[in-house]
Amino acid sequence: MKILKNLLKSPMFVIGIGLFLGTLFLAFLGPLFANMSLDRVASSYAPPGDGLLLGADNLGRNYVALLLHGLRNSLYVGFLAGIIATTVGTLIGIYGGFKGGIIDDILSVTTNLFIVIPQLIVLILISASLKDGRSLTLIAVIIGATGWTWSARAVRAQSAALKSRDHIALARINGDGTFAILVKHILPYLASYVFMVFIIQIASGILSESAISMLGLGPMDTQSLGIILNDAKANGALGDGIWWGIFPSTILITTIVFSLYLINTSMEGVFNPRLRRE
Amino acid sequence: MRASQISLGMSLVVATALLSSCKPPEGANGGNEGGAFPRSQTLYVAGSQWGDPSSFNPLAETWQPAWPVNDRFNLMYETLLNYNTLTGKIEPALGTLVSKDNDSLVVDLNSAAKWSDGKPVTADDVKFVFDLGRKYPDAASAFAVQFISEIKVAKVNGADRLTFLVNKKDRNNPLVVLDLLQAIRIVPSHVFQALLASHGDTLANVKKLKIDSVPVVSGPYNLKAYSNEKIILERRDDYWGNAALHNGQAPAPKFIIHPIYKSNDAFAIGLQKGDLDASQTFIPRIGTKAKDGVGTWLDAAPFYVPGAIPMLVLNVTKKPLDDKNFRRAMAAAINYGDVSELAVSGYSGKLNPGLIMPTVLEGKYFDSAASAAHAVALGKESAKKILADAGYKAVFKPDGSLDYTTDKAGKKLPTLSIMAPAGWSDWENMIKIAVKAMREAGIDVREGFVDPSKYWPAKPNGDFDILMDKPASNVTPSLPWSRFEAIMSSRNWVECGKSMNENQGRYNNPKAKEYNKKVDSLLKAIPLVTDSVSLKKAYVELNNIFLDDQPAIPLVYLPEQFYQFSNKTWTNWPTAKNSYGPPQLPWVSAGINTLWQLKSAAK
Amino acid sequence: MLKQYPTLRFILQRAGWYLLTFLVAVVINFALPRLGSDPVDIIMGQNSGGDPAMQEIKRVSFLKEFGLAKLDDKGEVVYDSVTNAQGVKERMPVKKGIVEQFTTYVGKTLQGDLGSSFQKYPKKVTEVMGDAVPWTVALQLPTIVFGWIIGNLLGALAAYKRGTFDRVFFPMALLFSAVPFFVFGMLLVYFFAVQWGMFPAMGGFAADIVPGFNLEFFGSAAYHYVLPFFSIFLISAGGQAIGMRSMGIYELGTDYIKYAKWLGVKETRILLYVFRNAMLPQLTGLALSLGAMVGGALITEMIFSYPGLGMAMLTAIQFNDYPVIQGVTLIITTCVLIANFTVDILIAFLDPRVKAGLQMGGN
Repeated sequence: MKILKNLLKSPMFVIGIGLFLGTLFLAFLGPLFANMSLDRVASSYAPPGDGLLLGADNLGRNYVALLLHGLRNSLYVGFLAGIIATTVGTLIGIYGGFKGGIIDDILSVTTNLFIVIPQLIVLILISASLKDGRSLTLIAVIIGATGWTWSARAVRAQSAALKSRDHIALARINGDGTFAILVKHILPYLASYVFMVFIIQIASGILSESAISMLGLGPMDTQSLGIILNDAKANGALGDGIWWGIFPSTILITTIVFSLYLINTSMEGVFNPRLRRE
Repeated sequence: MRASQISLGMSLVVATALLSSCKPPEGANGGNEGGAFPRSQTLYVAGSQWGDPSSFNPLAETWQPAWPVNDRFNLMYETLLNYNTLTGKIEPALGTLVSKDNDSLVVDLNSAAKWSDGKPVTADDVKFVFDLGRKYPDAASAFAVQFISEIKVAKVNGADRLTFLVNKKDRNNPLVVLDLLQAIRIVPSHVFQALLASHGDTLANVKKLKIDSVPVVSGPYNLKAYSNEKIILERRDDYWGNAALHNGQAPAPKFIIHPIYKSNDAFAIGLQKGDLDASQTFIPRIGTKAKDGVGTWLDAAPFYVPGAIPMLVLNVTKKPLDDKNFRRAMAAAINYGDVSELAVSGYSGKLNPGLIMPTVLEGKYFDSAASAAHAVALGKESAKKILADAGYKAVFKPDGSLDYTTDKAGKKLPTLSIMAPAGWSDWENMIKIAVKAMREAGIDVREGFVDPSKYWPAKPNGDFDILMDKPASNVTPSLPWSRFEAIMSSRNWVECGKSMNENQGRYNNPKAKEYNKKVDSLLKAIPLVTDSVSLKKAYVELNNIFLDDQPAIPLVYLPEQFYQFSNKTWTNWPTAKNSYGPPQLPWVSAGINTLWQLKSAAK
Repeated sequence: MLKQYPTLRFILQRAGWYLLTFLVAVVINFALPRLGSDPVDIIMGQNSGGDPAMQEIKRVSFLKEFGLAKLDDKGEVVYDSVTNAQGVKERMPVKKGIVEQFTTYVGKTLQGDLGSSFQKYPKKVTEVMGDAVPWTVALQLPTIVFGWIIGNLLGALAAYKRGTFDRVFFPMALLFSAVPFFVFGMLLVYFFAVQWGMFPAMGGFAADIVPGFNLEFFGSAAYHYVLPFFSIFLISAGGQAIGMRSMGIYELGTDYIKYAKWLGVKETRILLYVFRNAMLPQLTGLALSLGAMVGGALITEMIFSYPGLGMAMLTAIQFNDYPVIQGVTLIITTCVLIANFTVDILIAFLDPRVKAGLQMGGN
């Protein structure tokens, strides 16, 4: 499609999508090449070399295996949280922005409520009452359920701006109901915007997951990039100069988030030609 | 326009950089000398205070006061006696132990003992704090009443002689009385009587007071200042013990400052840089830090002297933990070498089977031949055999991991969860390794790290499958008896849902027909046995029962506290090579004497 | 009557909705912790030991002190006969109903009494927060403000100059904002504090200094502030720069700017218009960041051992310390809502399009 062609002209997009696809490859195809066993294979914090590409962690496990497991899980959490946040935020934003009036005010109140209640409280209390504790899915759901407020606002602003356009008035004269107008006339205009919102929500989901894990409140019984970082910090890797505990996962997180930002920015450039390089 | 924009931006950046580069000379603590607390006269310690200090009231609940008023830290308020964990001897503090038998313990109060307001420490002060429990059931030391029926006072050679009568009608336990004498701090009765009177004679009101402004103390240091960032103590030059106990010498550090850190690695970094002189926290790979002047009791693994045993407490009311073969299989499956090496950086020596540690203080009660006969054979194969013989079948997934296990009847067993507070990294690592080994042997367990808000209520209520705990975590004279009591006593046995303070695993239900009354009769008898041969026989018998029934699974030996220090500012710390004092940090119990022996490194 | 003053009506309407949000938030923040463990159970579990009968007495006295037990007219705890899970009848203290607890809470809060922390009993909640808030504010306010200023300047520069500067600067800013800020903090500590020993690794000021209004204290605090500052500042500046750059480019390409250029309006003037218009969303962002600031940069506080509000909240949540949770969420709610309200009003006044819309009676 024309959009794709335009996107590919932007070096930022190419780099961004390249990096992102690269990480996806790593996550899905990496396990085919690497040993994914989480058994103890070396002594505590063995340095890289000697068959261990990235050394061992404090329990003697192969970091390559840990990172691959963690990468997959972090991506899963990011995507799930992103989907939830974008869906909820977009629905609320579109509807509120379009309708205006009392409904908009009520939805704004709801949005503000979710902004005001700290994510941490929701996370700890909900996970404390569940028997299975914190699973990856639960974390993703909570991140999504507390992170949609930003999308709601952004989409609402766009939707509100759109509603005064002529073609909407025409549709109304035609007799289309609210829902039909939203689906047929507003959503297509916002599609590109919503997609960009989605990208940012994925990135923010991944960052949130790692932040939550750094507090020790991450998912249990499993690996994620944030958990790897937290383990490194909790076991004194920082002070001892055990760089292989910290840098690989940092680089992975940064790369994913960076690539998503690049994609987002280049899309902004394409959808809004004024931002394109002259 | 461009130029001014750029220059504005740049100058802001430069200004910030300049501001930040005004750094003081060497040392993050503002230089060697100067500042209100010169480095060479200050001892920096950490790890005994985690939250914001809010109270320094010695009568408050045990967890409420801040360091050094909580626990056996005798810097401000002192105990009657000190227990030297190296030699096992009772050393004098405010008093001296004269005699100990099954009926009474006699302590002579040191007539030189004085409070910081000049008044002498008298028998009234001692009686006040021990007898608080009689009048106020909500006193922190109210339980002492169960052990001490009466305190008689007499005057002998000008000193107050206190005779603590063992409460024969209640607990009848002279061992615990000795524990109390080295744990309960003596407070100035004249101060607190007055406070009680002015607060409607209600202890609850007095407990709420902070007592943080020039408190009346008897110890060598007093509170100078505190904030949410640190607690500062200053040496009292009129401390009575300098003349009476230390030949007129004063402790070497003029100030003791306890910074309050929020994250684990802060302590390691602090010790390595020399910002901390001693720290009570778990620091992995301590051996690699010797080059930075960080020392421990021993120069090589295990670096520390064992003091307490973190263990998995098994809730025997839940299937399949009610089957002792299953429990023994669990104990067999764990690779203890891995647990010690990987989870706690090798800080544990080889475990004796059972609850008696191979130390100077306890080793004499251990019989290796007898325990070898009762202990389960270690190893994955041994565990698998025990499970198979008892009728359990493990079903594995194609990738080798455990799917589930069935019992003799073919019914699928529930996954057992090991509960521990999240964030305690050494415990978390131990459990992770244990879980892995057990799953490979076909035992369906998983880690269950929870927030403190779930862990603490669950523990006394038996609201768990398996609980990680470290019972009897202080080294006291009543060990190893108190460890057995904490795990096996049916004295206060209640069902899950109600609260139990020991034996949270509900072992040995007195109402069940399998009840083994030998356990409780041994636990009642041991504190009263005086003959060492019979004592060893009793301990061996109790340990054998433990090994047969395996109500808990010891994982490693950890020290009572992590005794580690920095030689950068203060030297002459007691070590195995220089063992003039016990391996206790210089604010803990008998370790306090180290303060008089420390030498400044800057000479 | 109000129809004559559309702006006033707008303000009051907004204020009304925000008040409603506030009330609902207070109720939710009150109810949520009560879904978790009973804080008295937590305390009793932490301090087991002694006779069960005595433990029971202690438990009841805690319930009474914390205001969780129902009291009769004389102020004594009310008991009730309850059949427990094993079918045995026993006397248990009756807990106060949640509605009653809420009304007591509201009544006391309106008088300025936020209660006492359970874990740090009897430390007052206002004291807990009063100790913590300065740390959080000191940590974040300068970084947010500086980050905003520098970031927007650099973003404006990039938007205006484009070319090589933009090509280099923009991806770098993007990269910076992609690094998780706590990792950045850890890395700064690792390199500057541990390896090169240039800056202290933790704490707000040197351990041997007592806070006071003297140069030594401020100097020490500044020195300790460098690493935490940079760990947040660089990333937030990066984020701001990107936003500003986008806005700047957008505005620079609008028709009215092109027209103004053709008309020969002086460059300085044009830039003034451009950045004034681009500033609006950025100001919005600033106000919202400032409002959320009180929630604390929790992990940074942890890494650098700053006893701020984030740490206080985390501890309170972990131990289900109702009064502290209520107090902290109250202050967060208030700050965030006030910030949002201010932004709404500011936009109404500063953005002529919104103002015009108001005059015309729209929304």
